[in-house]
Amino acid sequence: MARTHDAQSTLRALATYGDVILEAHLNRGNRIALNDDNVGVLETLEHHRLVWRLGDTEDLQLKNVLVRLLDHITESERRRFASAQVDRLWSDLNRLFVDYREAKKRAAFTDKSRIESEIKECLSEIIEDIRNATDTFSSYISSGFSYITDMDLRIRKNHEVIERAGQLNSLFESFNTQDLADQAGNDPFLKRLLLKYLPAALEQGQKNLSYALNQLRLTLVRLREDQRLSKLVGGFESYFANNRGYIPFIDDLDLGHCPAPLNNVVPFAIVARGDIYDPADDADLITLAQTARTLGTDQQGTEPAAALQTVEFDVAGASHPEEEDPVDELIEQLVQFVVDGDIGDGEIDALEALSGSGLALDAATWLSTLEAQIDSLAPNDQSQITVEYKSQLDPLYKDNLYITGMTLRRSNESRI
Amino acid sequence: MQTNPLFERTVSALLAGEIICEYSHDELYNYLLTQPVQQKVSDFLQQMNRTLRQTSSHDAWLCSYQDLSRPDAKDAVRQQFREVANHLEALVQFLRLVMMVEAAQRPIPAGEHLREGKLLERISTAPSLEAKLRSLCEKDLFRTKRSDSAGQLRVVLENLTKAGYLKPIGTSGSVFLATAKWSWLYDVMTFIQTHEGIREDSAEDDPQLRIV
Repeated sequence: MARTHDAQSTLRALATYGDVILEAHLNRGNRIALNDDNVGVLETLEHHRLVWRLGDTEDLQLKNVLVRLLDHITESERRRFASAQVDRLWSDLNRLFVDYREAKKRAAFTDKSRIESEIKECLSEIIEDIRNATDTFSSYISSGFSYITDMDLRIRKNHEVIERAGQLNSLFESFNTQDLADQAGNDPFLKRLLLKYLPAALEQGQKNLSYALNQLRLTLVRLREDQRLSKLVGGFESYFANNRGYIPFIDDLDLGHCPAPLNNVVPFAIVARGDIYDPADDADLITLAQTARTLGTDQQGTEPAAALQTVEFDVAGASHPEEEDPVDELIEQLVQFVVDGDIGDGEIDALEALSGSGLALDAATWLSTLEAQIDSLAPNDQSQITVEYKSQLDPLYKDNLYITGMTLRRSNESRI
Repeated sequence: MQTNPLFERTVSALLAGEIICEYSHDELYNYLLTQPVQQKVSDFLQQMNRTLRQTSSHDAWLCSYQDLSRPDAKDAVRQQFREVANHLEALVQFLRLVMMVEAAQRPIPAGEHLREGKLLERISTAPSLEAKLRSLCEKDLFRTKRSDSAGQLRVVLENLTKAGYLKPIGTSGSVFLATAKWSWLYDVMTFIQTHEGIREDSAEDDPQLRIV
């Protein structure tokens, strides 16, 4: 009872997961992928001992007993060896033709009628097999043999299928129209079967088959190229690993007859400028100039200033007064005071002058600016000024002096 | 005379040394599909001692010298070759890494999608692949100080994009399309293999690839 129960449970499991099992059989080389979607089906099939695998991470494979059943119910076997099947049926049909003519000659109408229906059945089987046989190649083409992971085995399988398609093609070609016409003779029944239905099925079959053969050959070419490139990359990897620091070179080549893959040009930059001499381009150039002006502002992510939205051309002769720098102005005045001697005893303390000016400037910047300005005076002017520095020694580095103030004085020679 | 923007862009790209394929410059590639256009472009290039050429797999167009008897052309060819040769080891290592990650039986073909997330997920779960990525980032082409796999992979993919081998697609910035510059690289490698007598690898020599 338990055995019956188990068997029924197995059959139910096959029915429940029929789609996945058929997909694995017809398109995935009897393999069921190990992923989250298939957890249920895999557990059930494992429980019923219908799948196997060697490692825990490998995909599960349908067991041979199940594959044989699937072969039978999907007629895979029959289609796989269709050429042999069609050949056998054709031999049977030829025997039936002989019987048919004999029955007709003897006027055995009952037998003739029986043989006619046998001939019809046999011929329909042939036509069915021809259709199935060519259909099966389309599944190979669509899968691209991707269910076989090893490249060599994939190529071998492709070869095998091409050979099988070739055999089938030879068989189709063996159905000569003239032979069929001879076979049919003047019998209207045979003529209808052999010169109408069979040639139509053969023609369709041959058309499908030649397409399949072409595609299979293309797949083979692609697979071989894949294999070549794989070996190429592998070869380079090994070579680099065994020859540290290896860099290919072609300095020994004359390049008189340069191999095509090496003939690569150095980049040739094409640079063009806007034509500022052609008035027709003015409008475009103005737009470009506007973009160029606002580009820097855009990059910083700020709004362009309103004044930069338009380009204003200067009117001939117009001038824009430049604003004076107040620091420069103050220094100029100081120098003037010192040189003219319009001050007490002819000396000015630079820091006092700064505090009196109201300028918001730190002492260091002021003193260094003042010194730079005096240095840049003309030699004659410079000779009229003596600068006295107030300084402090660095407590650690005795060579260093910190300037804390400057006194400008009119030099003695210029006073005389 | 009326200007032809497609012609201009095509010729500019070719002269700049770019490789035109349907994945990197789909518009220009489609423009070059017809024979009269090919002839027109070729005629133009010939005036500059250049010509239009296809990769051996016929999936990309590039520019090459028409007459190599001139010393400057020979020097240019040598210079271009040195640029490839200097980075060849890094490129081969990258190809091998992707083959191992994807468990693929062939190196990257033009048009293949590379997903950064998927690559990273697989690399970060296999220490041997992480080590390969680290080693890759010590090569000049992909040199980086990043120590995390995500950062290293990002640098590798960005540099390959800059070099024209990959093109980012979509809005995420993490999916890349392989260009036919790989086909050109395979042509160069095939030449080097013959020239230098580098032996082909046999599948039996590579148990690691099978295991991965």
